[in-house]
Amino acid sequence: MSLEELAFLALALVAIATAAAALLVRELVHTILWIAIFFVDLSAIYFLLDAPFLGVLQLGVYAGAVTILLLFGIMTTRKRIFSRESATGIGPVPVALALVTFVFLVSALGELPPSTSTIATYDPTALSENLFGPNGPWLLLLGLIMLAGVAGAIYLVREGRE
Amino acid sequence: MTELALTGFLGLSAALVGIGIFGILTRRNFILLLISVEIAMNAAILNFVYFAAFPSGTHGLSGQAITVVLIGFAATEVAVGLAIVLALNRLKGTINVARATELKL
Repeated sequence: MSLEELAFLALALVAIATAAAALLVRELVHTILWIAIFFVDLSAIYFLLDAPFLGVLQLGVYAGAVTILLLFGIMTTRKRIFSRESATGIGPVPVALALVTFVFLVSALGELPPSTSTIATYDPTALSENLFGPNGPWLLLLGLIMLAGVAGAIYLVREGRE
Repeated sequence: MTELALTGFLGLSAALVGIGIFGILTRRNFILLLISVEIAMNAAILNFVYFAAFPSGTHGLSGQAITVVLIGFAATEVAVGLAIVLALNRLKGTINVARATELKL
């Protein structure tokens, strides 16, 4: 087993463990800590796949902004941020549905050739040329949707709404 | 040169989608619901990065470009979700989604 495969195996196990821990712990602040580790771990996977720009973007947007936003949401909706969440029963139906989804998706992997292949590496310059060239309309769409999202968020939280 | 197999990556995505669906079905706190959706969405975003790293045609770089756009979409989704959290907390005094029943028949 090569060093890259070992690194990916460790990163994948950490990703699954932290995602599960984030949803299973009782204190919401601990959830935020686990989800921050999850996002940092995913950015490490991006770096492993030779996508440094996406790794930095994941660190900045997810591990930075989204985590702080979620923490802010907890701080503003609770009197004491270290208060525990009331226990929710983990019934058999949600677990079964999650397992069925997982097994269904994994069974589709049998169609793929299991052989290893070399990872394609790209220059960030080429990525920016692609992003502002052939995929430019997607970037414009992102700008419009973000504008609509910000306007909607301001409308939702403004004071004195009847 | 880094040599890796695609199947392991797709297995990781499948596991993350499973965890996200489990969270969406069991949690009643709006913030935990948002986190579950983020986990499932990150699994989808990871897929674009894999298929950019293992290209089968000439469209490899488009996967990374779409990833940039999708990360922006996810950030917008969290911002709007937290605005809904704040509005729900002001109206109801709680962010338990089982208590928001105005639109139920």
